[in-house]
Amino acid sequence: MNIFMHEFKMSIRSVITWSIALFCLIFVFMSMFNAFASDAELLNEMMSQFPEELLMAFGMTNIDMATVLGFYSLIFTFIQICIAIQAANYGFSLVSVEERDMTADFLLAKPVGRTKILTMKGLSAITGLTLTNLIVWASSFVFINVYRDGRPYEIKTLLLLLLSIVMFQFVFMTVGLLISLLVRRIRNVTPYSMGLAFGTYVLNAFGGMLGEEKLELITPFKHFDPNYIINNASFDFPMMFISLSFIIVSIIASYVLYTRRNIPSAV
Amino acid sequence: MNIFRRELKANFRSLLIWGVIIILFSTIGFSKFSAYEGNPEMLAILDSIPPAFLAAFSFNAFNLTTITGFFGVMFTYFSLLVSIAAAMWGSDIIAKEERDKTVEFSLTLPVPREKLVTAKILAAMVNCIGLLLITWGVTLFNATNHQTDSEFYNFLSLSMLSLFIMQMIFLAIGILLGCAMKQHKRASSVAVSIILGTYFLSIIAGLNKDLEFLKYFSPFKYFNPVILLNESRIELLFVWISAGIIAASLVGAYVSYSRRDLYI
Repeated sequence: MNIFMHEFKMSIRSVITWSIALFCLIFVFMSMFNAFASDAELLNEMMSQFPEELLMAFGMTNIDMATVLGFYSLIFTFIQICIAIQAANYGFSLVSVEERDMTADFLLAKPVGRTKILTMKGLSAITGLTLTNLIVWASSFVFINVYRDGRPYEIKTLLLLLLSIVMFQFVFMTVGLLISLLVRRIRNVTPYSMGLAFGTYVLNAFGGMLGEEKLELITPFKHFDPNYIINNASFDFPMMFISLSFIIVSIIASYVLYTRRNIPSAV
Repeated sequence: MNIFRRELKANFRSLLIWGVIIILFSTIGFSKFSAYEGNPEMLAILDSIPPAFLAAFSFNAFNLTTITGFFGVMFTYFSLLVSIAAAMWGSDIIAKEERDKTVEFSLTLPVPREKLVTAKILAAMVNCIGLLLITWGVTLFNATNHQTDSEFYNFLSLSMLSLFIMQMIFLAIGILLGCAMKQHKRASSVAVSIILGTYFLSIIAGLNKDLEFLKYFSPFKYFNPVILLNESRIELLFVWISAGIIAASLVGAYVSYSRRDLYI
């Protein structure tokens, strides 16, 4: 429990910063919704006269900014990027930070097993991520209702979108943790998490534009594609299982690797 | 010179990793392009549309059935990747000395602080240029399998020049952060937020006419592939803005680092 409290105290400022950033993101973008919606209605009318293949050739399918959720899905992609970076940050730094700051030998000399250390640290990170998640839920509901201007939206679909965040966070956190245990030393966490988050984002965004799937199967952005969730009002279950298997494999491998890890000491 | 060489060596692995990411991305992209190139259904539809109409919507720049249009789409993603790499290198190369507790050592060397910063900036620049050359090389290599024309090569060189300027902007901002942030741990997280912020701005600025003024705040919008392709030129205004950002950041970096109170 001490480890948990200590970890949580260490990360609370970062949790607050990310939460405020996401709150502002949702607020700023939702407040623009009205300006977009009227333009988008005109654009939709124009685009509906084009043949489907033309739109496909220019990657313009699946865009409907005139509806509440169509617009929200754009914001949601931004939210996903932020959440991916945050979760990856926590995952990468979870145990590597102790080795970098030379505090690992102090921690490991405590009468606590390594499994328990990892569990406590993991729980603390999850608590932080969940707090951020709650802020995203609250601000999404509030700002959608404030700015939707009487336009209807499917509350069930919105719930599905928001529910997907939990697993999305888990994937990036656990994969980050696993990678941090696979490499010898991590000096700075940020380039790793940026690489992981933006690498998978670019892979999905670019693949989605061309509508063909092979390597996109590995990116969580594809597994929880907001457009799919909105168009079908359900999760893409086969894809979700890929993410789920990433999580399970990463967690098991992380425990195995961490309990056997050779840890350099300060002196 | 020793510092410069030392930094190059220290960052070499990171350059390799980013290089692999770029090569992977480019190869995946081009393998997708094969499905679009000369797709008869799409060509038939494109032929049936009056050319004036296509020009009005600047569709030519993003016509996925030609390699030029295809690269126009890839350009955005390349710019995102190389900018992130540049900002990470810039913010890390100065801040890491304090983090790794080596700053005492490097500043007791008989080298003034300005010279240390210069050597580090040069090393980071060489890294950026290396990554750009990888991008250029892999694109040229992948393009040999497809039909290319002189228009494509012009467009490619202009795009590379634009990517280079973007890299320099983010590198300079990163270095400024590394030099000026009181807490060295903050440098890279602030760099992340700047990249995220400007990237989101660039998407929003492209969606609505009323918000177009936002493009002045986002380097991702400075170099529009449509203009690069159709008019084969870079907008001078944005080159000046970029030069201004780079100069201001570098001056700020030198001034703040020469007065910096170091955490030891």
